[in-house]
Amino acid sequence: MRKYEIVIIANPDLDEESINGIVEKVSGWIKDSGGEIEKVDDWGKRRLAYRIQKQREGHYVLITANIEPSAMKEISNNLRFVESVLRSMITLVEE
Amino acid sequence: MSEEINTEQMDHRGNRRFIARPKFCQFCSEKNTKIDYKNADLLRRYITEEGKIRPRRQTGTCAKHQRQIAAAVKRARYIALLPYTSEPYQDIVR
Repeated sequence: MRKYEIVIIANPDLDEESINGIVEKVSGWIKDSGGEIEKVDDWGKRRLAYRIQKQREGHYVLITANIEPSAMKEISNNLRFVESVLRSMITLVEE
Repeated sequence: MSEEINTEQMDHRGNRRFIARPKFCQFCSEKNTKIDYKNADLLRRYITEEGKIRPRRQTGTCAKHQRQIAAAVKRARYIALLPYTSEPYQDIVR
């Protein structure tokens, strides 16, 4: 088990419910792989430094979780197929 | 009089003349300031107006922390917290 941070930039036009839906979906994948969520941090809407998919803003969500490294590939692959997610990044947290 | 001439000659020697700055690494002296890609306001001080990573000779950062800053800036760029290029340039392109 290692500690990872997942940053998700979701479409800013989504309502609170859809954002929660995305977070729940990701949490589900993590739990299915035997990981555990440590913290979910919603940064809210932020201006992007540059446009992504024609969007000037993004809804940022940061998830901190303990995940098995072998499950990482599948989670990042699944994230790519969520349409309302503009971009996502998974980083390892150095202790 | 002679001193004045000397300094003038120095200035014309080339435009890349090194301006000495005090060597001072912020992260070595402030142990609890962590280099984090999420802290865009902190990293903004280590990039130029064009969005380039500022060299060590300008910031005075030590080698170890410069590497960490460079990695953090690149992560911050990917999640659009920092620009790859400056805003005015982007507007021209688009």
